[in-house]
Amino acid sequence: MSAILIEKISRHFGEVVAVDAIDLAVEDGEFVTLLGPSGCGKTTTLRMVAGLERNTGGRISIDGRVVSDAAENFFLAPERRGLGMVFQSYAIWPHMTVFDNVAYPLRIRRRSRAEIDERVAKALRLVEMEPYAQRPAPALSGGQQQRVAIARALVFEPSVLLLDEPLSNLDARLRAQMGDEFRALQKRLGLTTLYVTHDQAEAMALSDRVVVMQNGHILQTGSPQDVYLRPQSRAVAAFFGVPNILEAKVTACRAEGDGRFLLNVQGTGWAGVCHAAQAYEAGATIHVMIRSEHFALADARDVPKDIQLSGKVVETIFRGAHCSVTIDSPAGPLNVDLSSLAHIKVGDTIALRVEPGAAWAISR
Amino acid sequence: MRLGRYKPAPGPLLGVGVLLLILGFLAAYPLAMLLYGSLHSTPPGTPGEFNLVGYAKIFSAHDASVVFNTIALAFVKTVLALGLAVLLAWIVARTDTPWRGTLEVLITLPFFIPPIVTAMSWGMLGNPQVGLINQVWKAVTGSTSSPINVYSYTGIVWHMMQYSTPFLFLFIVDIFRAMDPSLEESSRMSGASKLRTFRSITLILMMPALTSSFILSFVRGIESFESALFFGTPVGITVITTEIYNAINQRQGPDYQYATALSFTILAFLFLLVLVQWRILRGRTFTTVTGKGYTPNVMRLGAWRWVTFGFCILFFFITVVMPIGQLLIGSFFRYMGFYSADMLTLDHYQSVFKNSDFWRGFRNTMLLGFLGATATMVLGSIVAYVSARTTWRGRRLIDAIAWLPWMMPGMVLGVGFLWAFAILPHSIPIYGTIWALLLAYVALGTPVSVRVMNGAYAQLGYDLEECSRVHGGSWFQTFWRIIVALAWPSFAVGWILTFFGIMRELSASVLLYSVGSEVLSVVLLKLWTNGAAEQVSVIGLMMMVLVVLFRAVQLRFLNRRIGMA
Repeated sequence: MSAILIEKISRHFGEVVAVDAIDLAVEDGEFVTLLGPSGCGKTTTLRMVAGLERNTGGRISIDGRVVSDAAENFFLAPERRGLGMVFQSYAIWPHMTVFDNVAYPLRIRRRSRAEIDERVAKALRLVEMEPYAQRPAPALSGGQQQRVAIARALVFEPSVLLLDEPLSNLDARLRAQMGDEFRALQKRLGLTTLYVTHDQAEAMALSDRVVVMQNGHILQTGSPQDVYLRPQSRAVAAFFGVPNILEAKVTACRAEGDGRFLLNVQGTGWAGVCHAAQAYEAGATIHVMIRSEHFALADARDVPKDIQLSGKVVETIFRGAHCSVTIDSPAGPLNVDLSSLAHIKVGDTIALRVEPGAAWAISR
Repeated sequence: MRLGRYKPAPGPLLGVGVLLLILGFLAAYPLAMLLYGSLHSTPPGTPGEFNLVGYAKIFSAHDASVVFNTIALAFVKTVLALGLAVLLAWIVARTDTPWRGTLEVLITLPFFIPPIVTAMSWGMLGNPQVGLINQVWKAVTGSTSSPINVYSYTGIVWHMMQYSTPFLFLFIVDIFRAMDPSLEESSRMSGASKLRTFRSITLILMMPALTSSFILSFVRGIESFESALFFGTPVGITVITTEIYNAINQRQGPDYQYATALSFTILAFLFLLVLVQWRILRGRTFTTVTGKGYTPNVMRLGAWRWVTFGFCILFFFITVVMPIGQLLIGSFFRYMGFYSADMLTLDHYQSVFKNSDFWRGFRNTMLLGFLGATATMVLGSIVAYVSARTTWRGRRLIDAIAWLPWMMPGMVLGVGFLWAFAILPHSIPIYGTIWALLLAYVALGTPVSVRVMNGAYAQLGYDLEECSRVHGGSWFQTFWRIIVALAWPSFAVGWILTFFGIMRELSASVLLYSVGSEVLSVVLLKLWTNGAAEQVSVIGLMMMVLVVLFRAVQLRFLNRRIGMA
């Protein structure tokens, strides 16, 4: 039984379709991220699950219980769905202390004072905010507010946790740290989590599964490896960085047994093997995606069947972790990330090889 | 993507209906009765005919001069008050003048003093025969001439300015503060001098806000009643509000049709003004106010900062200390104008405390103040909530109707209510009772209360509400524990503001009171007309004590709210 089951839900604002018949199942204890640019419908989807917005079509169930069904005109008010939620702004109530903020869901549920004290203390300990319990909420830093918001969402042990871009208001370092901490917590407690972000790095680092959305549709659902290394479409590929997409002709195709196929392809000035999700006939024109960090400088020991390309360096940018190099090759301009130790100057002609398994055929 | 909001609240249709009924009665109904009265030859309930006689009377040479007086006086006082307010606001917000926090409190204080009190006080201070200023002048210079005469055009403008300047200051000081300093800094970095930056950046950015403040203050000038009543009427200077008052109160047999026609005309004119304001401001609201707390650039004035400090203190001295001083002096001497030791007395205090009219007026004002402020704020909170935070059908209409009394001068609303109550069936006895005043006060106060609460709600993100809903709070629990808990400081501040408004209200009160329902301002006016300036001083002083007390409480609330944000 899925913890969250979304069946064909839609949201129309007049003529505008924000979410268009989306299906999604989140399993118990799973961390699923809705990822997409702003306006793709990810937040609307989350808010429909929360009950903060009504779905104009489709059905949503939580823990096997239908919470909203547009066809039946049935909508459970948000307070009766029993969810925990962390808002983008944290929504820490400024007129309460940290303790009061976290205690709020329990007080609403009329729990005993002793139970409230114990549970709030436990929740605050979980996010390492126990010493701050009596602080007035506005006296907290962004990271601390975020911890309080998480404690508040966890304190009544909801079956499902919803998070709406919770890290976007933090600076880069804190973002990574808070993300890792939250992921550890989520794994430890086995929380079912639906998470919304526009940050692809965050989505890949945290999730069991990533749902890539655009214009109210789901483009692809899969593990972080799937959506990054084996995108189903150009749009998904382009969502993560600036991939190199090269045109090529299929010369041979054979099944690998795990539902994937190995293709021999011939491009302009290069040839080699790549993986694909479907079979192609020989002679078909396809697009091959190679991510910029999967290039390396070629040397004599390279296996000949690896893809090899060479070209003239047009631009180099030193980025610290790596060096971004633009190369004018017969197959078109290439964006390549090389070691920051590599001595490469504009005007050099360099030979590159692609790491085995990096090339992926995109059908759409 | 956040196009919609989740806001199902109980009984939207019923709620909108009830609100429309209440607001319709408070605002639209008197307006309709005003129109009716202006077209009907006799007061309601008596046989008469519909004609345009009332409007025909407006087109006379006399009325032309009245209208000219009104507009010219309002214009001159607005220009002067705006200039002064910008200067004071700049000193307080953007210079290193010492004790600016205190100065701000002092400069805004005259706004909260009932104009009737300062009018009477200045009537004594600036009286050409026995006024204290002229007496001092004569004693110091030895001359026999009296340089100051408040019973003049200058006197009217001067008195209106005392109220307008702090009013404008309150707006402008916030605009100065809310401006992003980087806008000015980038001008300096581009090579512009301080003065050039002020002219081409600061002032231009403030232009929309200044324009709207100007029109607002101009409208208030046209609506003003006390200044012209006290300083104009004795010397034959008439403005529209005093003309309406005279038409009803002073002539042989009140000319109701003329008064209502005049009221309706001024209303139409003010409505046009507000439309002009909207047109001017459309698309020109530079969003310099972002809600972020900026630390504005502060100009170092060096030794000059003591000059600016002195200037602010001088403003406070003239607008507050001098009138209060006059009241103090006036209350302790047997006769106004004769100030020698053997004239000292406490008789006036005794006679005021023995005066049953005073106690009745005091009781009525307090009762109306508490009831009126509470009712107004409750209504304003609900209207603001419905119009700003629900998606109910009809919420815009509610907002618009609640805003209607904003451009009705108290005098005009008073005339409208006079008719509105008179025409009600006898089973609803409002006419001539204290409740007539209460309704008028609620109507007059609602636009401000809606604005105050709108501002309060606007600061609360929807997240705060939604977060409570998701974590188990019902609609009502959320409203009570989040919205009310967060907005109540604004409610309290608005309450006190409304209370001030009721305490100082004269123009509607003077039309709607009857024997038994006099309020303090009406009692004051009666005493003044009877020449009891000494007792007026005593009552004026007591009102001042109230003003200072309430203002102190209000400032405490404001500080706490700022401390919380």
